[in-house]
Order: sequence, then structure tokens, then C-alpha cells
Amino acid sequence: MIRKTRRKGTWLAATVLAVGSLFATSLPAYAETGVTSTEIKLGITLPLTGAASPGYNKIGNAMNAYFKYVNDNGGVYGRKVTLIQKNDEYSPQLSIAKTNELVLKDKVFALVGPLGTANYTSVHKSVGIAKRGIPSLFLNTGFSGFGNKKSYPTSFMVLPSYAMEAKIIAQFLKENHAGKKLGIVYQNDEFGIDGMGAFKAAGTKFDVSVAYTSGTQSAATAQTWVSQLAAGGAQVVVFFGVTSATAPLLAVAAGAKYAPQWILGSVGADPLTLRALGVPLAVLNGAQTPAGNPSPNDTSDEYVKQFQEVNAKYNAGTAFDDYVLQGMNIALMTVQGLRAAGSNPTRKKLISAMETKGSSFASVAYSPLGFSKTSNVGHTGYYMAVMDANGDRKPFGGKVKLYTTDSGSGPVVVSTFKRPAMPAKGLPSNS
Amino acid sequence: MELWRKAGLAVRKKVAFFILIGWALLLIGDRVDELRVYQGAQIAMYTIALASIVLLTGYSGQVSLGNGAMMAVGGYAAALTLNNLGSPVWFAFLMAIVASALFGAFLGTAAARLSGPYLAGTTLALAVGLPEIANQFAFLGGVPGLLFDVGFPPARFGEEFSQYKWFFWIASFIALLALFITSNILQSRYGRTWRAIRSSPLAAELSGINSSRMKILAFTISSALAGLAGAVMAMTISLVAPGAYTLTLSFALVTGAVLAGVSSLPGVVFGALILVAIPEIADVVANRFGGGENLNNYLPSLIVSVLLILSVIFTPNGPGEKLRRHHHKKST
Amino acid sequence: MHKLLETILIGISTGSIYALMSIALVLVWRSTRVVNFAQAGQAVLSTYIGFEIASRTEIFWLGLAFAIAAGALLGAGVDYFFMRVLFKHAVSGAAAVVAPVIATLGLLGLIRGVVGLIWGGEFKSIKAPASTDGFTIGETTIPFSALNLLVIGTVFSILIVLAIVFQRTNLGLSLRASAYAPEIAQLAGIKTARVRTIGWAIAGGVGGVAGMLVTSNNFLSPYSLDLLLVFGFIAAVIGGLESMVGSVVGALLLGITLTFILNYVGTSLVFIGGFVVLILVLLVKPDGIMAKGRARRA
Repeated sequence: MIRKTRRKGTWLAATVLAVGSLFATSLPAYAETGVTSTEIKLGITLPLTGAASPGYNKIGNAMNAYFKYVNDNGGVYGRKVTLIQKNDEYSPQLSIAKTNELVLKDKVFALVGPLGTANYTSVHKSVGIAKRGIPSLFLNTGFSGFGNKKSYPTSFMVLPSYAMEAKIIAQFLKENHAGKKLGIVYQNDEFGIDGMGAFKAAGTKFDVSVAYTSGTQSAATAQTWVSQLAAGGAQVVVFFGVTSATAPLLAVAAGAKYAPQWILGSVGADPLTLRALGVPLAVLNGAQTPAGNPSPNDTSDEYVKQFQEVNAKYNAGTAFDDYVLQGMNIALMTVQGLRAAGSNPTRKKLISAMETKGSSFASVAYSPLGFSKTSNVGHTGYYMAVMDANGDRKPFGGKVKLYTTDSGSGPVVVSTFKRPAMPAKGLPSNS
Repeated sequence: MELWRKAGLAVRKKVAFFILIGWALLLIGDRVDELRVYQGAQIAMYTIALASIVLLTGYSGQVSLGNGAMMAVGGYAAALTLNNLGSPVWFAFLMAIVASALFGAFLGTAAARLSGPYLAGTTLALAVGLPEIANQFAFLGGVPGLLFDVGFPPARFGEEFSQYKWFFWIASFIALLALFITSNILQSRYGRTWRAIRSSPLAAELSGINSSRMKILAFTISSALAGLAGAVMAMTISLVAPGAYTLTLSFALVTGAVLAGVSSLPGVVFGALILVAIPEIADVVANRFGGGENLNNYLPSLIVSVLLILSVIFTPNGPGEKLRRHHHKKST
Repeated sequence: MHKLLETILIGISTGSIYALMSIALVLVWRSTRVVNFAQAGQAVLSTYIGFEIASRTEIFWLGLAFAIAAGALLGAGVDYFFMRVLFKHAVSGAAAVVAPVIATLGLLGLIRGVVGLIWGGEFKSIKAPASTDGFTIGETTIPFSALNLLVIGTVFSILIVLAIVFQRTNLGLSLRASAYAPEIAQLAGIKTARVRTIGWAIAGGVGGVAGMLVTSNNFLSPYSLDLLLVFGFIAAVIGGLESMVGSVVGALLLGITLTFILNYVGTSLVFIGGFVVLILVLLVKPDGIMAKGRARRA
């Protein structure tokens, strides 16, 4: 008898506690989501730690550095731009949880640069990005599916899609490596499959095909990849995966004295990060890779020069590499987007501004932007580059030969597009 | 006759109590903002998951580190049913229960002869190994997982009725139902038998109890509960993926159960609350101390670990026990 | 034929590292009746200390020495400050079964959190003390390298040293006696508490070696040794928690089996493969493969 009452008492107490805490901590709503008279709040989810973090974990801080620079120079129509970073360890389930925090708790105005194909697919569905009308600018993923305006009405890509990249590599293989035995190592999810589909459509035949599951990359598993590639006699090997998989692949191959012509996909090819992960310079020398931007060491390029200055001042202690360049570029484009949304921005205005004015934004990448009322596609092309003995990247053939294409069946063409000049002092003044 | 009526009254009182709580939750759901509603759904989910541990470890004395894997079985079963058979949502949840119960029965049979560290080790291996199976078979969705879409709330609730509130309603309802049933099971002959087995296996055998069969039963029911929790989790994040059911989850469940009192069913609400609250508290603390990157990433698990150690040392049977003992002392 | 040979060799190499971890777990189990899940945390902290030394001095072996020392200190510290407090308080009620498991799990999380706070989550790498180039036989290169050979050599040297200590020295005798029959050992004048702490120290040092060896071929992060713990534990259980020789055999078996699965089946089935091996062994021989019908003290 007594026990039952006490037990019921415990039930009651526990429930009251639970309910009370829900009540007591409800946050007041903002007048306009993520925008106040002094601040615009943005959010990003990316892998700050974990297997996929090498390299990518620098992007957020690079963006923040650039935003600080803009804030110190008047902000966006007087408002400070704040970026909240959330670590999702490249796990889709964590991306959902963190994005929920950004949307429901931090109440950000927009998402900028969310990273990861599987991550964003899950987030978009689970958090209901489209239904809530949340702008999602400059996704840090190249999955071509995100270019579909109908399915992703409020999202905007920035990277050329993996399908585009595969088509360009396929073209390059035809022009420069005809007749050789081809191998490919790719990540076994939408990221890699996107590329594989495009290779197939382009008619590229791989003699050895190795798939790896995201998260299983290590020296031990790389051993099996290399065994298969060597056994198949592949002379040219394309790699479509993350940096933390490139590293063991290259290291193990060097140890096994297997030295094919490497073609490293843009996602996992930053020389600085690879060296930090223990890949010796000698191995990287001669590796080819599609690139969209100039080399981060090329101070003759006005964008690179300006970004390096911002990095030195606002992100001191971080070496300027591809990821820092990428982050700052996204931030530059974000500021242009925010400005184009006007001095009283709303989410709808931002989306509309991206659609109508986005394609003319200044960006460090060489290829044109494809934003429009019917397309989410960002940059649309690559040039092929070669890594040299200093771990630097130079255009293949000496000069930048830009290829552009689409994610579908359109042809790969050589483009003469000239990108817009960098705004004075790197501070946009567009509207 | 009198006994039956008395028993009837007690059960009736419990039913009324649960309905009252349900009603209160309904009202709350309308008053708080969306974030809290979403967290409410998570609390409901953890409540079910922790109940499975209370039954298995607190009552039948079997230490399992693999309840996260059981949640995975339930989640995937529900997703596969929903996506491939086009069945209604409640059927998907039912399949989650059935699949994980079957799996639990199988695991329980294999584990019946094991105890202590051998059982812990086996369930540990399960927790690590099972979610990875999803990576091998394409129909399980691989790393990105399978989408789990329970659809939008019925139109008659209006435009303002958000998806998360809908999840909260469903999750709370399921949690209340599950807790009600579990509470009855634990207070019945079965619950007493399990406690007997746990505290003195030899005496239990001598009094004619078939320990193996009861242990397997405990595993089965516990897994069913865990599977149900897994399906509810799948609903709240609209996803089943191996990354949602990691070893960390199994550890968190055991943590929550110990913090709340591993043999106390009412405590699971408290434990669930803690599990959802800790990342929030850690966030606040981390931000106050400058919000360095390392701090943000590692402080939550640090807080959980410290809490866990403190509670296991000082209140191993949950804070409820300490209070009860104190109460006892006072009344004598 | 080729692939078979490399699979077995790599299996032995990986298995031997598991063996170190499993020995550490068995040592602690026999002396304290506790499975020390925190072993992974102790090992990772020792490895980070070893990493700091090794990266500054460029000498792997110096780093290894420091890792062993740190591991031993940590092990002794955990036993002295943590375990004794634990046993003083948490011994009754439903939690008696669970408490030590939870406590060591909590300690694991604590150490890992501290490591993360200090060093962050960025992957670090230690320069290997031997080349990772595969040996060349004739015109083919097998993936078994000088480093693999070094790992096997180091592990077996340690095993021999431990065997000598346990079988031939007074300390070893005290350790075995205190684990097998503590009351009698005390009556015989052995300070069982101190001996137990020494056992924990040895286990901690061994864990440090395991961590350094694993990291020489992989990346270091606060989570990088968790898998080692799981496999070490499985190996110990396979071998029967009572026997150190058994756990070594179990570890090698496990290493070879897992490498087989890796090379012949696919990477995703490796973990579940470990589980299947475990279940099979436990079904057939619930006390581990080395149990010769010996009474199992729960």
C-alpha cells in the first residue's frame, strides 16, 4: 500500500518536473527570424571533428574571419553578420539534431554552406527546410540532385556538381590518357554514385572499380583498395572521396610501390591537408586534379591576395589553403546575397535576390554561376591542374583551360568566360 | 472476490492517472514553442528506451550494452515496413516491436548462459557490429540511411499545427501506453520473479523458477521496448541511419538509467529529461567560458561522464533510493 | 596463395595489438573482478603523451617509453583513487551488478573528454619507427611491411617479459596469489591492495604500448582507440577472461578472422564478424577456449 503511493508520488514528481522545465525554459520568439536591427544570424553544420573533418573543419572559421572583416567595415547595411557553427561529425543524424538547434533554438535567418551530401539530404527532409522557407545558401556539396529547383526550392549550390566534375574528368581522360587502363576508387554513397553515373553516361570504362563505405577508410582498408587496383593493372586511377580517405590510399600505395597516374577529385585533394595527414610530397608530385579556383598560393590573383590579407588579420594561426579560400569565397558571396536582399531583408527577399541577381555575383572561381528562377546550380566548370614537387598546384598545360558543362547530357565545352572583378578591398557594394 | 475488486481499483486508478498526464501533455504541447515540443518528443522516446533498461538490468539483473542495437532493429523494421509495404504508421510501429522482440528472444537465448562481463562483452560487440550491417546491404540504405516519413498532421488540425507537435503527440501517446503496460508487467508476478532471480539466482532455482526462461522473457520484452523506442526516434528525425544507433547511444541509455535509478520505472522520466537536457546545459556552460571549439565539442560528454561517475559512486540505485532511505529513517 | 599469406601475416600483426589490450583487461579482471572499460581512455591519454614526446624529439622509442610510464602511473592512479572509492560506496542493491561497468564507462568518457579539451579533435599522426613499405618477394610487393614485423616483435617481447615476471618472480607470484585467493594471500603476508595497484599499473603500461603501436599506422584522435578496446575485450572473452595465454590466442584468432573478412568479403561486415566469432565461441565454450573445465568464479 505505502509502496504504491510512494511510487505514484514519484511518477507525479517526475512528470511535474519534466513538464515544468518545458514551460520554464520556453524562449521568446524573435520579431523577424534571425534578423534584428543590429544583427543577421546565419548557421552552418559541418564536421569539426571526426573522420571527415581534416580540412573541412577550417571552413567555418574562414567564413567567420571574412564576416568579421565586413562587420568591421560597416557590416551589411549596418547589421553585423554572425555565423553559428555546429559540429555534426559528418553524421546525418547529428546534422539533423544540430540544424534543429539552429532553426528552432538559435533561430537563424538562413543556413550557409551546410556540408555533406547525405547530411543535407536528411536535413532537408527531416527539418522541413523547404516547408519552413529557410534559405540554404551555397551548399558545401556537389550532389547534382540539389540542383533540382522543384525538390529544393530554397537551396542554392555553389560547387560544380559531381556529375559535372565526372564529365570533365571523362573528357580529360579521353584527351590525355586514351588507351590506358583506368581504375576508380569512390565513396559508396550519393556523393560517389553521382560521379559514377556521369562517368557511365560519358562512356568511360573503368577496368578496376573500388567502392568504400564512408567511415571505414583507414590504412587497413586502403590496403585492400590498393591490392585490387594493382591486381587490375590500373595505370590511371581516379579518386572520388573525402580527404581522410585520399591520405591512406596514397600512403599505402606508396608503401606498396604502386604509382599510377593519380587523378584526385576536387573534394579530397587539398595538398596542404594531405601533407598534414602524412602523405609525402613525392607522392603528390604529378597528381592531377580538377580545380575550380586558382591555387591558394597564387598571390597574383586579386581574390587570393585579398583573402590572404583577411586571413592574416582575422584568422591568424590558420594556414591559408583551399578550404580557407573556399570558406572566404562563400562568405563573400553570402554578403552579396544579403545586400541584394535589401535593407529590410526577409527570407523570401533573400531567395528572390539569389534567383534574380545571384548569377552575377563576384566569386574567385573561374566558371560562371547558374542561379536563376529555375535553377539552383552554382558554378558550372573546372580546369585541370597538376600538383608539383612543392605541393603546389599549377594548371595542366601551363594555362587555365576552363571546361563548362551541366549535370545532364549537355556537352563539355571549353569556355572563355571572364569572371567579375573582385569588389574594391573585398567589400561588396552591390544591391 | 474482494481481492479482485481491489486489484481492479488499483489498475483503474493507474489508468486514470495516466490519462490525466496525457491530458496535461496535450495542453502543454499547445503552450510551448516548437523547440520544446520537439524535445518533448525526444524525452518521450528516451523514456521508452530507458524503460527497456530498467526491465532488463534493474529487474532481471542482466547488464546489456546493446540496447542501442535493439533500437536500430526496431527503427529499420519500421522504416522498411513503411517504405516498402506502404502500410499505415501504426503498423510500422507494430512491426518494430515484433522484429525487435524476435531478435531479443534470439539474443536472450544465446546469452542466457552468460552473465556479468561475458554478457556485457557480447552485447558490446552487438552494439558495435549491428548498425554496420546497414552499410553492407543496399536495401538498408547504407550510411545515408532510409527516410522515415510519417506524413503531415491531419488537415483538420489546421495550418498552424507543426510537424514536430504531431511527433510529440504520437510519441507521448506511445510512451504513456508503453509505460503503463511495462509498469503492470513489473508489478506483476513476472516482475517479482525477475527480482528474485537477480538478487539470488540459487534460491530462485531452488524455489522452482526456470531462470533461463525468465531471463529470455526479460530480454524479449526489453528488446521490444527498445525497438519501439527506435521506431519513435526514427519518426522524430525522419531518418534511420547507422549513425543514429552508435555505441554512444547504448552508453547514454545505460547512463540515463543509472542516473535515474536503474530499478525504478518512474525514474525513467527523470532520466530521459537529463539525457535531453545535458547537451543544452553543456552549451550554456561552454558559451559562458568563451565557447572555444574544443570546449563545445567535448564538454557535453565530459559533464555526462562526471555526473555518471558521481551518481554511480554515491547514489548507485538512483537519487530516489537515497531519498527513500532518508524518508524511512525519518519516519522510524 | 599470395593473398592467403598476406591475410594471415596482417592478421597476426593486427591480432598482436589486440593481444596487448586483452592482456591488460585480463590482468585487471583477475585482480579486481572488474572489466576496465576505461582502459581505452588510459591508453589514449598515454598515447597522446607519447605523441607529444615523439613529435618533439622525433624519436618514436622515447615517446613509447613515456607512454608506458604515463600508462603505468595512470593505471595505478585509477586503482588507488577511483576503484577504492567505488568499492567503498557502491556494493548493494540492483546496481551492484552494474556499478563497476558504469563507473569505468564513465571514467572512459571523462578521460576522453579531458583529452579532447586539451588536444582537440584534429587527427594527429606519429611518424612510424619503421618503414611502411611492403616487403618485395621476387617481383611482387606484399602489404606486409617492416612496421608490421616490428609490431609483432614488440608485442611478443612484452609477452615474454610478462610471462617471466609472472612465473619466475616474487612479484608475479604475489600477483597471481592475490588474484586467485586474496584472503589467503593476505594471511601469507602479501599486501594485496598494493599488489593490486601494481597489477593495474602494469595493465596501464601495456595499454600505452598498444596505443602507440596502433597509432604508428593510423591517426590519433580522442576516439581512435575505442575500437581497440572492443576487439581487445572480445579477444579476452574468447580466450576466457581468466587466462592471459588464452587472451593472446583469442586475439590472434580474432585478428586473422577479421582480416580474412576484410580481404575476402567486404569492409562493412568486419564488425559483425567479430560479433559472430564471439557468439560462436561463447555458445560452444562459454568459459572461453582456454577453459579446461576450470571453475569459473563469477
